[in-house]
Amino acid sequence: MSATDTGGRVRKFGSAVADGWTRERFGLLGALGLVLLAFGPSFQIYLFTDFLVVALFALGFNLLYGYTGLLSFGHGLFYAGGAYGLAIVLRDLGPVFADVVGSGVAPLVTFVVGGLVGLALVVAVAVPVGWLSVRLEEIYFALITLAFGMIGYSLIIQDPAGLTNGTDGIIVLLGSVDVGGESFRIGARQTYYALTVVVVLAAIYGVWRVVNSPFGTVCKAIRESPDRAAALGIDVRHHRWMTFIISAAIVGIAGVLRAGLASVASPGLTHWSTSAVAVIATVIGGATYFSGPIVGAFIFLYIRWGISRFPTLDAYWELFFGALLIGVVLYFKAGAVGGLLLLRDRLFGEGRAGGDDGPTQGGGGAAEPGSSGDRADDRGDDS
Amino acid sequence: MSLSSLVPLIGVSDVVVGLSLGSRLFLIAVGLSLIFGVLGVLNFAHGGLYMLGAYVTLAVVTGVIDNFWIAALAGALAVGVVGAAIEFAAIRPLYDRIDADLDQLIVTFGFVLIIHETVRFVWGSGSYSVDPPALFDFSVSLGGSTFGAYRLVVIGLAVAVLAGLWLFITRTYFGSLVRGTSSDREMASMLGVDVPRLYTAVFFLGSVLAGLGGALSAPLQSTSPALGDQVIIDAFIVVVIGGLGSMTGAFVGAMLIGMMQSLGPQFISAGSIAIPFLAMVIVLLFRPEGLFGGIGE
Amino acid sequence: MTTVLKTESLRKQFGELTAVDDVSIEIDDGDITSIIGPNGAGKTTFYNLLTGVLQPTAGSIWLRSGDGATDDGGGLREITDAEPHEVAQAGLSRSYQITNIFEGLTVRENVRVARISHERTRLDFRSRATGDEAIEADIEELLELTGLTDIADTPCDTLSHGEKRTVEIALALAIEPDVFLMDEPTAGMNPTEVTEIVSLIRELDADLDATFVVTEHNMDVVTDISDRIVVLAEGSILADGTPDDVLTDERVTEAYLGSDSV
Repeated sequence: MSATDTGGRVRKFGSAVADGWTRERFGLLGALGLVLLAFGPSFQIYLFTDFLVVALFALGFNLLYGYTGLLSFGHGLFYAGGAYGLAIVLRDLGPVFADVVGSGVAPLVTFVVGGLVGLALVVAVAVPVGWLSVRLEEIYFALITLAFGMIGYSLIIQDPAGLTNGTDGIIVLLGSVDVGGESFRIGARQTYYALTVVVVLAAIYGVWRVVNSPFGTVCKAIRESPDRAAALGIDVRHHRWMTFIISAAIVGIAGVLRAGLASVASPGLTHWSTSAVAVIATVIGGATYFSGPIVGAFIFLYIRWGISRFPTLDAYWELFFGALLIGVVLYFKAGAVGGLLLLRDRLFGEGRAGGDDGPTQGGGGAAEPGSSGDRADDRGDDS
Repeated sequence: MSLSSLVPLIGVSDVVVGLSLGSRLFLIAVGLSLIFGVLGVLNFAHGGLYMLGAYVTLAVVTGVIDNFWIAALAGALAVGVVGAAIEFAAIRPLYDRIDADLDQLIVTFGFVLIIHETVRFVWGSGSYSVDPPALFDFSVSLGGSTFGAYRLVVIGLAVAVLAGLWLFITRTYFGSLVRGTSSDREMASMLGVDVPRLYTAVFFLGSVLAGLGGALSAPLQSTSPALGDQVIIDAFIVVVIGGLGSMTGAFVGAMLIGMMQSLGPQFISAGSIAIPFLAMVIVLLFRPEGLFGGIGE
Repeated sequence: MTTVLKTESLRKQFGELTAVDDVSIEIDDGDITSIIGPNGAGKTTFYNLLTGVLQPTAGSIWLRSGDGATDDGGGLREITDAEPHEVAQAGLSRSYQITNIFEGLTVRENVRVARISHERTRLDFRSRATGDEAIEADIEELLELTGLTDIADTPCDTLSHGEKRTVEIALALAIEPDVFLMDEPTAGMNPTEVTEIVSLIRELDADLDATFVVTEHNMDVVTDISDRIVVLAEGSILADGTPDDVLTDERVTEAYLGSDSV
């Protein structure tokens, strides 16, 4: 490990943190925080739910960018796919489910089925779109995914099949569940928050498993050098295709949650400017880290909220993120997570060696933080 | 009733509109294609620069001198300076990175946001229109329909820009440096070409073209902060179909898309706006070098 | 001697330029064959053809098949149109002249990628990458063999040039190739490192059941390790034989003196 020993009290404090505060305890603390948040102000619950959804969106996107080196400008397609799948099922099949399972639990059943339909729709689209897209690399991959996204956008607003309700989008009404005289609204902030936490944490865990599997290890190698990977017998295109599908599915789940949170599935979700949100969050957070997109989404939403507190600045929040994006790419590609790890090294001396979850980006000239343990470390706030 | 009502599918005015739409698209896309052809940079902010050209022209016409041509020139040069500054400050440091292409795309996307917000800050969110130069501010009747004479002028201007650029690239010393550097950067560098300076110069030229496009198209469109985001996608379609880096490719691609936009809706109603994107996908998959490859061709 | 790798009238043209011109060669099992020649003689193009990176304009490539499948009746299988990953899976591995390893990963992770590929657990999404005990044991063994154990957990972008070159070799070996193509193994090395690599190659040749094909500029290394030398010039075979025969061949001297590089 290359980090220098800072010695003295600070060092001791650092090792105390390392010894006493295990991952499990941090996990417990995080879970407690999540529960406490449910009793906070309504707007804060909403904002945090929003953050979780965007975090999952960016995490799904980065599976492709950070782990195989393909920059998609069309992941809005899958975000919208999940949203529209849910919205169409709720609109068209809600009454059918009420007949089958009874009106009491029908809204919940419809929501779950709608979510699964959204996911299935996304996978069905991602299989051919991914198969075609991974034939290309670099700029050309960015362009073809952008084009696919915009095809989706065009079809949704022109609505040739009469399914998507054009530019207005589809209203998403989640309804109320009545069981044994108790009734609760699925869309109520606390309820929806709890649901989102569970789904997002499960999805993040799933992604984490994939990233640390033999498959994920091969992906990291592809990110580093595709031709070297091929020379070792790895079918690079096939791997990228598989990653594309998983990445789209994760984004699709985020899209389902987005539709429920916003109460609408709107065509804007497919637009390239929505796909760009995942790019911004990921790059700011640090594409080289598993937790980069999550931290990036946190920064994106909370700084935006912070800016919105000042009405004169509020109209120009994009300016700030434009400048931040440029600054990060030019001077500190490790992003916010890289910065935090660097800070931790400075404060606590030698970093603890962690798992090996982070892909690393070969961007020459980009600032990289200290030791290898750090670089591959995953201890961002998963929660 | 004239002949065109008997042949409802294609009227003369549709063709003129198609050609003028295509001309505008060419003016948007040609600088993007030039920059990609020489530097290998896909400039996401190109649409923003185009928009900036329209705004500067507007500002000069209304605030400084009421002469459209001078204003357009001022717009083009101002945008050229902004473009050169962007290249110098934010794109040049990235050429040697392994991920240069994607990093440059992301950085220029950052400038999309910055230009958008700056324009909103200076000119507000409303939309403006610019009058065509007085000389051409009249209507022409052709084949039973009427359109502004300036549409014809734009078609002529687009052809003039193509011809001028072609002469510049094939007949001047600077043009030969550009061609040499675009085909083999390292060789050009070894032969004593100051490649970084040449890159900045080409980025300046490409940005001037963006600004000029925005300025000349200003009378045909309403200028608002959303303009940049709209046109960059059109520009991507055009340069991909024509061939990234090709001038004539950009011209033919632009005319194809222009005619498609003008005539297409009469043939296909459902899903028609998806067609250019579909064409883009097909070209990328089967002919990634575009229908017309290579710079200066 | 049995043939493990064979080309028949292999040719590659880039427009007007013929980079590899009608090369027919048979590589014998267990040999160390060096392919030498001046810069631009077509060595790298030849390697790229063999490994599926480039498609030949004409001719064919054959490799001994491990599974007994045979296309020519002599135990060889045609791999002319195979893609790079298929060539690697068929048992032909390579190292690169310009170091090509997974820079951001540690040495151990580099080797693990290759072992995962070899053991066909590439599409396992669910297990832990480090959880396969057999693979982990193989990794240790390979690190031991190549002398990389001490730096196993160092990220590759912080290694010295010589260490990176060794990782390059370890990667290629990790997929247990029948034939190992080494492209300039000593490129850019200092004399000490060269000595180390040469003794490593000798060790590997003795320990492993693999056939080596080496391109090399350093003639001391070539004479030291080769069982056989093939000289390429302007895309064709100029001479072929034992080191003694080839290096005393007048045409070879001429070809070298006619160019700038030795």
